[in-house]
Amino acid sequence: MKTRPLTVRRYVLGIFGWAAVWLAVSAVAVVLGAENIWAWTSPGDVRTVLTLRLYLVLTAGAVGAALALSGLALQALLRNPLADPYVLGVSGGASLGVIVASLWLTTIAAPLFGFVGALGTVGLVYAIAQRRGRLEPYTLLLSGVILNAFYGAAIMLVTALVSPERRGDIAYWMMGSISTFDPRWSLVAVVGVLAVAVAVLFACLAKGFNLVAVGEDTAGALGVPVERLRRVTFVAASLVTGASVALAGPIGFVGLICPHVLRMVLGPDHRRLVPATVFFGASLLVVADLATRLLEGVGGQTPPVGVLTAMAGVPFFIYLLRTRWRRKTEIR
Amino acid sequence: MKRDTFHRVWVAALAAALAAGCPDDMPPSPGSGGPESMRILSLTPNVTEILFAMGLGDRVVGRSNYCTVPPEALKVPAVGDTLSINLEKVISLKPTLALVVTKRPEIATTLEGLGIPTVRLKCDTMPELMETIQAIGRETHTGEASATLSAWIRESLEAVRRRVQGRTRPKVLVAFPMTVGSAQMMVAGRGTFIDELIGVAGGENAYPAVAEWPTVTPAKVIAMAPDVVIINAVGGDAAPDRVQAIQRAWQQWATVPAVRKARVHVLTAPFLTIPGPRVGMAAECLADLIHPDAARQEDTTRSAEP
Repeated sequence: MKTRPLTVRRYVLGIFGWAAVWLAVSAVAVVLGAENIWAWTSPGDVRTVLTLRLYLVLTAGAVGAALALSGLALQALLRNPLADPYVLGVSGGASLGVIVASLWLTTIAAPLFGFVGALGTVGLVYAIAQRRGRLEPYTLLLSGVILNAFYGAAIMLVTALVSPERRGDIAYWMMGSISTFDPRWSLVAVVGVLAVAVAVLFACLAKGFNLVAVGEDTAGALGVPVERLRRVTFVAASLVTGASVALAGPIGFVGLICPHVLRMVLGPDHRRLVPATVFFGASLLVVADLATRLLEGVGGQTPPVGVLTAMAGVPFFIYLLRTRWRRKTEIR
Repeated sequence: MKRDTFHRVWVAALAAALAAGCPDDMPPSPGSGGPESMRILSLTPNVTEILFAMGLGDRVVGRSNYCTVPPEALKVPAVGDTLSINLEKVISLKPTLALVVTKRPEIATTLEGLGIPTVRLKCDTMPELMETIQAIGRETHTGEASATLSAWIRESLEAVRRRVQGRTRPKVLVAFPMTVGSAQMMVAGRGTFIDELIGVAGGENAYPAVAEWPTVTPAKVIAMAPDVVIINAVGGDAAPDRVQAIQRAWQQWATVPAVRKARVHVLTAPFLTIPGPRVGMAAECLADLIHPDAARQEDTTRSAEP
């Protein structure tokens, strides 16, 4: 794809452009919902519903941005187009941590345990898949598959041990949903701030991402501290994934879809991709959540948003598997 | 046939409670601040049932998806279940009182956060059921109706107790089938609501320990050696072929006294485990199976009518 050279002006304009997309999508998502509140007569009730929707939109935005960023960074650093926190088991590890924390400790510890679970998984996947300093793409995906299987079994074990009521809760939470039940504004703020901070960090590391994506040896030869870059990125990606899983459960494939769609539009330059990914990821999950709420208005029951993203994400994964993978173009 | 009787009894109870609940001023005077202007959101089946039995059915503006009894309740808009509630719908219904029985405290805090006065009810045991009915009476200013309903329930339980008085207490196991063919089932532990009903119906719970619906294996069932087994098959399990499959599955364990004496019963009545107005009927059902020779005292329910 031909793209014009990146100038500071274009960079800033790009950020504002993507931010505008996100704001527009969010505004629509606040205006629309399960009930037609604009026909209501009580301004107090309308205000209450608008607050609820604002909470949903901000939550979806923060979680979407966090997962998309995490996916982008994992794809770049693992040099694998199919990397995604959900596929690699990072979300699974975070889920196990969050479930254990909220069942036997306090819910305040949940994001921390989510982070530990996510970071542990990234470390494990990396350790399993690397051989003599090289990552084997098949082994990488397979280690994600097998860790997902392990976490699945561990979560089932926990589910079997708890009371029947809790069983329903866990099963529903595992589908990944953004809920206004028990609004946790502070956690939304934490995830939002983390996503922004990690975005700034990744924006600073974008050049390094570009070089590693071309080849680790090249990057090393050009003076990129590959190992350190990898460590910082993995910790940052785990941090946002863990916190977002604590907030909304494991929502899959956002981290896979967003970076690829943007690469198709913007090309492989991570300096453009990082800011775009933040807002595009946020917008995508806001739209997906809006879709579930509109379906609730029609059908009376809300499908969890994670089910929606997975249903959209799996065909996309297959498409990538059949195209990108075959050509061995890595993440270009 | 049986279900028909239950329904008649229920309607009788409803009528009785209705008559007691709304004494003189039948046409509600709007805006008087009393129960007439009350808009109740009920998120639990047994509370909805209690409200209707107390004659407050027309005050219920929202219910959960599971609140399907009495049939009149189906006319009330449903707002979701314990896992996902359409809060926008809840707000649009403008409830002035939410009645919540739940082990998830977030539901109550969320509703309170929306400015809806919320009453948390506990309703897992018989005394808690009575307290719940009393609390609903207090919150809805219908103390008389709640007293009538409580008295009626007490009397219907007492009738069952009288019926089985002085008889030996067989060991009774009440279970939920998990899946047909699966080797495990959920049984009523001591201290559960069903455990109390078994006591009222003249049995002794075969499960020896205090526990809330523990999952047990066939080996454990054989060790407990229940004299009577009552399987509560509700929902999808109540289909005739499922009931047969459950019966067949039990025939494999011939060493269990209940199987030997052909005293494995599949009960499809959905109210057995619901701590609501029909607990007397549930106890009656259990007594029929535990002490089939003890004749039902006819008109027990009718005699309880005020």
